[in-house]
Amino acid sequence: MHDLATDAELPKEGQHLFQLRSLSFNYADGHCALQDIDLDINTGDKVALVGQNGAGKTTLVKHLNGIYTNQTGSLLYKGQSIQDDNLIRARRQVGILFQDPDDHLFNNTIYEDVAFGPMNQGLARDVVDERVRKALERVGLDNLMFKAPHNLSYGQKKRAAFAAIMAMEPEVLILDEPTANLDSKQEQIFAQLLQDFGGTLICISHDLLFLYGLCSRAVVLDHGRIHHDYSLNELVSHRASLREHGLDFTFRFIDCCHSSESHDHSESHDHGESHEHSETHDHLTLSQSDKQTAVRILSPPMEGVPGEKSQVIRLDNYSFQYKDGTWGFKDINMTVNEGEKIAFVGENGAGKSTLAGCILGIKQGAGKYYFKNNLITHSGREKLWRQIGMVFQDSSDQLFCPSCEEEVAFGPKQMGLSPLELEKRVTEALALVKLSGFEKRVPMNLSGGERRRLAIAAVLSMHPQVLILDEPTANLDPRNEELLLHILHNLPVTQILISHDMFFVNNSSHRTVVMHQGSILSDLPTSDFFEDEHLVGHQLDYAYKNICGREIMKMQEAVENGG
Amino acid sequence: MIDTAETIYVPFGGLILAAGLLLPIIVIIIRRSLKAARDRKAGHHHRHEHDWSVPVLDACSNLDSVFHRWDPRLKIFSLLVYCFLVAALTQIIWAFCALIFSLAAVKLAKIPFRNTKRRLMAMVGFLGMFLVIMPLTVPTQPGDLLLFFQPVPVPFNVRGFLLAILIILKAFAIALIMEPLLNTAPLPVTIQALRHLRIPDMICQMILLSHRYIFVFLNEANRMYTGMRVRGFRQKTNLATLHTMGNFLGMLFVSSFERTQRVYDAMLSRGYNGTFPVYTNFSARPKDWLFGIFWILLGTGLLFLDRTGTFIIW
Amino acid sequence: MHISDGVLPISVTIGCFAATIALTAVGVRKTPAESLPKVAVVTSAFFVSSLIHVPLGPTSVHLLLPGLVGILLGPSAFISIVLGLTLQSLMFQFGGITALGANSIMMGIPALMIGWLFKQLKGSTLKGHAIAGALGGFLGTVLSVGFLAALLYTGGEDFLGVGKIAFIASLPVSIIEAIIAYFTVIFLFKVKPELLK
Repeated sequence: MHDLATDAELPKEGQHLFQLRSLSFNYADGHCALQDIDLDINTGDKVALVGQNGAGKTTLVKHLNGIYTNQTGSLLYKGQSIQDDNLIRARRQVGILFQDPDDHLFNNTIYEDVAFGPMNQGLARDVVDERVRKALERVGLDNLMFKAPHNLSYGQKKRAAFAAIMAMEPEVLILDEPTANLDSKQEQIFAQLLQDFGGTLICISHDLLFLYGLCSRAVVLDHGRIHHDYSLNELVSHRASLREHGLDFTFRFIDCCHSSESHDHSESHDHGESHEHSETHDHLTLSQSDKQTAVRILSPPMEGVPGEKSQVIRLDNYSFQYKDGTWGFKDINMTVNEGEKIAFVGENGAGKSTLAGCILGIKQGAGKYYFKNNLITHSGREKLWRQIGMVFQDSSDQLFCPSCEEEVAFGPKQMGLSPLELEKRVTEALALVKLSGFEKRVPMNLSGGERRRLAIAAVLSMHPQVLILDEPTANLDPRNEELLLHILHNLPVTQILISHDMFFVNNSSHRTVVMHQGSILSDLPTSDFFEDEHLVGHQLDYAYKNICGREIMKMQEAVENGG
Repeated sequence: MIDTAETIYVPFGGLILAAGLLLPIIVIIIRRSLKAARDRKAGHHHRHEHDWSVPVLDACSNLDSVFHRWDPRLKIFSLLVYCFLVAALTQIIWAFCALIFSLAAVKLAKIPFRNTKRRLMAMVGFLGMFLVIMPLTVPTQPGDLLLFFQPVPVPFNVRGFLLAILIILKAFAIALIMEPLLNTAPLPVTIQALRHLRIPDMICQMILLSHRYIFVFLNEANRMYTGMRVRGFRQKTNLATLHTMGNFLGMLFVSSFERTQRVYDAMLSRGYNGTFPVYTNFSARPKDWLFGIFWILLGTGLLFLDRTGTFIIW
Repeated sequence: MHISDGVLPISVTIGCFAATIALTAVGVRKTPAESLPKVAVVTSAFFVSSLIHVPLGPTSVHLLLPGLVGILLGPSAFISIVLGLTLQSLMFQFGGITALGANSIMMGIPALMIGWLFKQLKGSTLKGHAIAGALGGFLGTVLSVGFLAALLYTGGEDFLGVGKIAFIASLPVSIIEAIIAYFTVIFLFKVKPELLK
């Protein structure tokens, strides 16, 4: 297990590891991030820190190793305030893994990155070398030790960043959205690594299922204040408080846990507290009827193949080869019918995004591609953008206009539409994604969920016949996710969804295509796909989460029946 | 002035020159269109708009050669001194010799031709300008050889032409030396060696940091650009394109400023205290010293011959 | 537009190196120590920006951006320019290692000047910022090419012709830089005005 540092440094009897008293924090622009935080964290605690996007979670953890100094109130680490020697100690003993691994990997080889922390701890070279090798071996990257970070995949980078923290042998480990953008296989590797960690753990995540297996205590932040501090079991079993904080993720597994029947009853329970914050979240709160649809989005799979006429996309023996000779995918045959919602699943690198790029016309492979029964040639490909829209992964980082209005109008403007039509399209698209009134706002200053929806509006305003979405639910808090699901459900256009999120796939698609190493393994109606026993073999195993999900649902039922 | 210069009239020279100039241009156009057709077939389109590829600096650092085994400190020091000595040359013959030595060094370092070609091509524009403009604009001095390619009325000054050739030879000689200098060790090792050569720590770290994040921002820029293309953006020479490009750059800067803060936080949280830890040790063998002295002597020798005036103008 | 190796007289080459070292040292002193890693990361963004082609009639041009570097980084602009050029020199050989000093002077001093000028002119309105930005973009490039011509002239009268032609040829680029800087500054003013302080 994990070697903790010398006993002399451990807090004395009855002393908390972290002791926060009426801690507040304002940003330079006056925006209040934290307000009157009172919190004790003891050695060995496993804390889940949850709350909506922008609730102040990241700001809070940045205090714990002295990146931010407390403006008001007090913060003690091991009984002393975090400054001078204790600051150095806190930085060496408290490891933080931030969301984007590229922020952690600032050296030109993985080895140097992992060695950076131990070197700053003042360890001897041979000790550092041993630590680096051990840390990289544990995350399975020892063979890539001298590679530059930009040659690694996202999952590998994430693990390298984790190794960089673990090589410091921290006593406290703080993780900010550790599973964001990871496929289920990578996520499981991560869960395993974290379960092996013996020290104090503080984990920020929207993914309560992931937290459920890892943490025992839950601290809920809302608008910079601590709203609850109790056990994780208590949190997950109270749907009302989950919903209050926009954390109700249970809509996700109602279908896949095969207990939707029993759950329908609980749906009618009154969520009395949910209106407390309705002022600020009016546009986010779904009506009760909306909720019903969101919960039961899964419509029955389409019966039979619609006739030839309604075919929108057809690929015959389509292949794509990268410049370096490796295949993106090979000999793909598939069709997409009008109005259909197709999900592409498969591990990272299976060829899903490359295939989307080909359908979109930004990549060209070999083989025949028909769009609406027209063979797409070189010149035809250049015009596909008018018919097919795509919302890329991390599309919210790809907004480049100074106002929402301009952002949404950009595409239609390129189509040469009149100013009057432009205005109409902007209003309409913003209304579709529930961002009416945001016309003059700066996209950069919106929340993550709002930006995601803006990115979708920017494509919808072009009235595409086919909409491709790459990982649309990644990094969204449950409230935003539910809203997104709702929006997509009501969109009549043909949709191609790429996702690792089995709950999302289950809820939002008619048909599921499994890709593996560049070919299609199966192409089934979504309901049949979820019956498929081979799911595990495709590294799409979500059984673990399913078990957690069922346990949580049982607890919720018990609470709701009993209370 | 002009009467002290030697003047030769080349009949039909203008036509010959024109043919000589046109031929390579035609060849280049044909080759480009062939390549474009090939690219189209292979599916690599948008070549002009979208080619922001950055060559990987130390792609050849895993090979093995005299240069790879050379102590990086001595390698950098002696080759840099050599570069400055070459830059000081004034006669074509010795500059030509320097180019030969550079080619030999590239060969010895087992650098693939692709790399050297890329380096040389990057300079062709600037140097080509010299080659075309210098012979036509150099003021005539006594003893100059002027060629009139009839019917072109402007004299072609051979001294200007030779001056341009000298510059090109020196530029190529120095550019080629960069390959064995930089491409035979991983960048962190090279920078580590610079640190040993008394380049301040902070500067070295900044080079490494910048190098690392170039790839991150390239990726960001590419993704953003693809998103723009998919929403119908096509570059044209007009104000709308410049407006979009202005937004694009603005966005790139904003996201880079935001990232600097996050990177700095990540550095702090891993105990950064203003200095980067140093961990590479070098050991110089006598061989390394000898090889270094060889290059410096070679450069000094060239400069000595250059300045003792054995050949005034070749 | 960068100077390649072997163009300038050796005395000027070495002189520019010395001046570059001195100005870098001043820049480092004027920048708070904790900002240096940040300047490095922002430099990567400038590096990437300078790779972007902007169409100009049948051909396309790269951006030099000394004006925008000055506007965004102020007194730290010179370090950023040296750093960016070092990387370009290492990776592409637009101008080699011996010409690094001259290229730094040619781009870095205009960047510093524009940084100062922008601060004087911008005022507090969007319009003021935009016009100061456009002027910065234009003058940044014009001054850089002016320095280029002046440096070439140190090689003797023989180089005057090349200098003049380079100066004239760069005017369209200067205009493009002015327009792009205009729009970039407007964008920044709306989205993240603190970067223009």
